[in-house]
Amino acid sequence: MNFKCKILFLIFLVLLSFSGCGKLDESVSQSNNAKIQFIDDDGKEISLEKPAQRIISMYSAHTENIYYLGAGDKLIGGYNCIYPPEAAFLDEYDYKGDPEQVIAAQPDLLLIRPFIRQKAPDYIKTIENAGIPVVSLYPSSFDEFDEYINKLALLTATEQNAKKLLDDFHNEINTIKELTSKQQDKKNVFFESTDINIRTVTPDSMAGLAIETAGGINLAKDAKPIDQGSTIAPFGEEKILENADKIDVYISQRGSMNSGGDLISISQRPGFDTIKAVKEGKVFVINEKIISSPSFRYVKGVREAARFLYPDLMDNIDEYKNDNIATRRDFAIMAVKYKHIPIFIPSSSSYYSTEHKGHTFGLFEDIDWNDKDFDYIETAVENGYVSWDKGEGGKEYFNADKNVSRDELAQWLFVMGDFKNVDVNIPIDDLEKSSHKRIVQILVDNHIFELNNGCFEPERYVTNNEIIKALSCLDVH
Amino acid sequence: MKKLLMFLTVGLFVFAMAGCTNSQSVSESNSKGEQEVSENKDSGEDSDKVNTDESKKAILVVSFGTSYNDSREKTIGAVENKITEAFPDYEVRRAFTSGMIINKLKDRDGLEIDNVEQAMQKLYDEGFGKVVVQPTHIMNGYEYDEMKEAVKPFEAKFSSLSYGTPLLNDDKDYEEAIKAVMSEIPETEDKDSAVVFMGHGTDHPANSAYAKLNDKLKEMGYDNVFVGTVESTPDFDDVLEEVNNSGAKKVVLYPFMIVAGDHANNDMAGDEEDSWKTMFKKEGYETIPVIKGLGEYEGIRNLFVEHTRAALEG
Repeated sequence: MNFKCKILFLIFLVLLSFSGCGKLDESVSQSNNAKIQFIDDDGKEISLEKPAQRIISMYSAHTENIYYLGAGDKLIGGYNCIYPPEAAFLDEYDYKGDPEQVIAAQPDLLLIRPFIRQKAPDYIKTIENAGIPVVSLYPSSFDEFDEYINKLALLTATEQNAKKLLDDFHNEINTIKELTSKQQDKKNVFFESTDINIRTVTPDSMAGLAIETAGGINLAKDAKPIDQGSTIAPFGEEKILENADKIDVYISQRGSMNSGGDLISISQRPGFDTIKAVKEGKVFVINEKIISSPSFRYVKGVREAARFLYPDLMDNIDEYKNDNIATRRDFAIMAVKYKHIPIFIPSSSSYYSTEHKGHTFGLFEDIDWNDKDFDYIETAVENGYVSWDKGEGGKEYFNADKNVSRDELAQWLFVMGDFKNVDVNIPIDDLEKSSHKRIVQILVDNHIFELNNGCFEPERYVTNNEIIKALSCLDVH
Repeated sequence: MKKLLMFLTVGLFVFAMAGCTNSQSVSESNSKGEQEVSENKDSGEDSDKVNTDESKKAILVVSFGTSYNDSREKTIGAVENKITEAFPDYEVRRAFTSGMIINKLKDRDGLEIDNVEQAMQKLYDEGFGKVVVQPTHIMNGYEYDEMKEAVKPFEAKFSSLSYGTPLLNDDKDYEEAIKAVMSEIPETEDKDSAVVFMGHGTDHPANSAYAKLNDKLKEMGYDNVFVGTVESTPDFDDVLEEVNNSGAKKVVLYPFMIVAGDHANNDMAGDEEDSWKTMFKKEGYETIPVIKGLGEYEGIRNLFVEHTRAALEG
């Protein structure tokens, strides 16, 4: 290194240290204003000098909410978190493992919930003894949700975001409530939380409230908790079968903590074929994470419950009755709403460590989990209703603005429906141009698509109106 | 000095605590239960004792397991019941080989199901002298090997211990299994329909059982019946090619697994874009999945009874 270089290097170092100092002063002065004090849900007094910068969250709802609050970049680790999709790639810390791993990661905040302290008191104590602040939060009822979010916001310096998110959250819940409250034909609902002894939820639990908000009448509105403080309530097969003809909608909760049945297993239980909802195919499975977990995603669970109860009201697609050329995004929304299928939510904590032959939920380069149509797009793709594209290095793209051709529409429609081979074999002059000859032939034979001078015109783009017309054929087939 | 002492105490405490949690996680993850076995040895029991009272007889039915509570009783439960009916002098017990499923059922549903070691230890402790271990596995794959491995330490502890064979062991089994299943599948009558069985598949050499089954079906005249696996060969593309060549217009999917659990519900019949149902539909086939585990076929249950009979008479 010559002399000039040495001088330059020295000046650089001096500048660097000054800029560092500036930052240090700033953060110190900020911290004096931002002193955080509250009692956490383990009854422990929390006092922090400044918002956290390196957080390990051991509860998936905390993780989700921190991402919603816009502080996802402050998270350095999680436990069994798979939503939002980026949370699945956080380093994993397990309270059943070695606390030294947490200590070595040097977080400035470990977020837990009371359940974890009860399960692993020594683990938590070891981390506390190492001087790492541990905050335990869990809203025991829906009424405490705002307070809980505000505490998370304090810890992550996102109070402004929290206010807006909470306003939006409550507005959306109220909008659903208002919509469904006007329905004359009230639906009776049974909510199954586990299939062992067929248990339900308490009426004041988050799931219980979701049924109420969605405009349903909870068959188990008098259910009492199985243990004090629990949201699980005994119900039993006998009482269900007594009310078999009254149950309009049967919702079953599944996930790592709950094992409700599904349409097939429920309908195969002895006597259950007499249940009105089973006879009418109104058995729906909902992921516990969106209906029983204190996260902003709860609004999705409430909306889903309302869709199960009042599909026509919640899944209206009148706004697409126009002659605009349709895009993939348009089709995805129309398809999911038209079929009234539940939104796709991965449930297994190993979802991202398992290889998927098709699309992996949440990994489109061009669709963010905050996209307003995220659930419709992911659900349509996961059900094979709409195509997507693979780019360089296996990257996945939805290409939401891409127009939809007749050839594509034919394939997607065939996957959505149950079309039969009618063996008419109407001649199609340009069938060779289609990538899905077998499907096009069946759909033309079934008069789902009309020919133009003997041609199918596979490459021609379709309008929204044409899609709605094509979807309406699914009712017949 | 005082400070140093305190530091040491705290340090030791932290170390001990860390140690505690460590060993806890080991014992939790060690679902194979080696620990339980050695604990029993340490408890002063005479581990060299051989149970000779052959009037105390038991059949241990060993299954992989499933977390689908409804399906479990219709399949594994039904096989166990059939064996119980056939051999009234025997006490019939259940064990699962999947530690993951045992743990899941315990955590989620509070159900306690023994692994093979635990079940064997209990039979031993309770003084059974004659034990037959009957797997409900499809073939001699990893699960079967692991089961034998787990029973091995107990082999000398009973005056009579024998193993039943899995579903597909010798040539006759293939024929019997095909007869048992096909007699309950109506679609083979329809020449426009292809019947596709979805097996699990494994990287164990025993995976050849699926190809053999596929060949045997053709040999027995089932030209439109095909076998594929989720995790190995023949895979979906192999089956698709066979279906394409068969000229079928419709595909009927059946699991070739004892339990219609996760694979049957999701990988075979699920609505996901990569399920076999959706993939066949994308190719233009009218596709009908049937959720029926092998344990739900009367003929298959009888085959397991016969395998048990061979073991206890042999």
